[in-house]
Amino acid sequence: MARTRAILKALGTAFRRDWKTVGSIGVNIFFPATLLMLGRAGGFIYLLIGLVMLFPASTDPLRKIPRSRLALWPLDRRDRIALRAASPWLNPVTWILGGLAIWAVRGRLTVGLWGLAAGLVAAGFLLSELLPGGRPFFFRWVPRFPGVAGELARKNIREILSTLDFYVALLLSLTGLFYRLARLNLPPEAYRDLGLLVLLALCTYTQCLFGLDGGGLARYRLLPLRGWQILLAKGAAFLAVLLVLMLPLDPLSGLAGGMVALAMGHSPAVGEPREQARWRFSGGVSLSYGVVQVVAMAAAWGAVAFTGRWLILPCAAVWIASTLWYGRKWEVQPIFP
Amino acid sequence: MISCRDVTRRFGEFTAVDRLNLEVAPGAICAFLGPNGAGKSTTVKMLTGLLAPSAGTVTVCGLDVARHALEVKRQIGVLPEDLGLFDDLTVEEHLLLTGDVYGVGRAETRARTAQLLHALSLEHGRHTFAAACSHGMRKKTAFAMALLPNPRVLFLDEPFEAIDPVTSKIMRDLLEEAARHGITVFLTSHILSVVEQIATQLVMIRKGKVVWDSPVGELPQSLEQHYFDLVEAPVVEELEWLGPGRS
Repeated sequence: MARTRAILKALGTAFRRDWKTVGSIGVNIFFPATLLMLGRAGGFIYLLIGLVMLFPASTDPLRKIPRSRLALWPLDRRDRIALRAASPWLNPVTWILGGLAIWAVRGRLTVGLWGLAAGLVAAGFLLSELLPGGRPFFFRWVPRFPGVAGELARKNIREILSTLDFYVALLLSLTGLFYRLARLNLPPEAYRDLGLLVLLALCTYTQCLFGLDGGGLARYRLLPLRGWQILLAKGAAFLAVLLVLMLPLDPLSGLAGGMVALAMGHSPAVGEPREQARWRFSGGVSLSYGVVQVVAMAAAWGAVAFTGRWLILPCAAVWIASTLWYGRKWEVQPIFP
Repeated sequence: MISCRDVTRRFGEFTAVDRLNLEVAPGAICAFLGPNGAGKSTTVKMLTGLLAPSAGTVTVCGLDVARHALEVKRQIGVLPEDLGLFDDLTVEEHLLLTGDVYGVGRAETRARTAQLLHALSLEHGRHTFAAACSHGMRKKTAFAMALLPNPRVLFLDEPFEAIDPVTSKIMRDLLEEAARHGITVFLTSHILSVVEQIATQLVMIRKGKVVWDSPVGELPQSLEQHYFDLVEAPVVEELEWLGPGRS
């Protein structure tokens, strides 16, 4: 048992470190912004966030130990059974699910909702074993973009699909699509507002554009590309994803807001690049910067939605100017301080 | 083809590379040897424009690396220390990206990609994401990326480490063929037996300073012995607890 205890202790340390990345939610502007805008009326959104977070947070802690290492350790059958039984309890999600079960028994939560949460946890737990290199099958469906940096744009889209921001935005977009297809009589403002929520869900990612590049950061410096070309590939990927999500809602206003969000995001993305964990919400540079970004983005969104479609042109100009300016800055910035 | 004049790189108080002078002729295979932390990778980073020297000038293909960074990048192929692969691209997509970025036509890129994947036994893993590749596959992908644009100079940081003997032989053959066609190769390695077989020029570095620079034929003794004498002699510690019956 001493061996099992030692392994569980090490596993607990490794898992706690990994769980710290969940803290990126604290610097994602979507949550305070929706709380401020919707208050208690935002229950549906908070439920979405909770469910979206539950899935990737439900990974099997035992997966932290490489399979070959686990097989090589001199553990007997009893040790292995104990390890298998105890390790899921290192994940706080298991305890949360237990707490929710007590709520469900006491009638403070519907059994159906508990079942949904339990299903997501089970799926996350099992699927964490099956994703090779953490890349789901649909990553292969991402098409290549035209141009010299087309493969880079494809990679950038896959990176966006590795953040939880995208999945909250997707669920919001699908809600709008459902109302459109069902021909339910929603006022046009409702679609616009849903569009703004999609924008809010995605905009923090623009502050950490290079967060998921990992070892590829050095490759950027070796490629004979200008800084603006690399930022353009990042921006094009973001706008493409945004456009698809905005199609059932309000595409033009969405694109205008997205361009301004990118222009505002370049400063922290280039000036203060930070690592981003996969299957977590994007973490911005600070909430105060996020507020400034949201104000500028919402102003652009509102200008196009309420004043005139032509106002998308100045938004595009701001994005292009920012891409050129920060592209130059990116080129002269050392990567090995 | 490669020229360094009094190149120095400091990190705060620490001098990683100290007044390095170096000349590598076209078509040469220059092996840059030294222990871990001697300044090899720092030198490669300065030669490829990844890192600016604190003093001195670096010239590659007749171009000052600091002033003509973009033009130099178009002329060189690099296998960097950390391989520089994107986790979200497959092996094949990395090669297609390289072709696009270096201006190789799409059809030509596809043809070269197929040849390189075949030559380096990467065909079975062409659709594997880099994040899911073994270290050997990642290294071969980065090597193929360095070769694909047909560069004038190849910089390879530890190309033979952690790969199987067959791939090592294939890579050696490819490098010798490249050198025969006039491509200059600059590589770092710890595997002296491999270096001895392919290098035409040997440079040894210790604590940031060059301690030996000559054609391979001018070595006064075996490469290994010369390395131990000039760079670092092995120290064998006796582990008195090692062995059955010893606690």
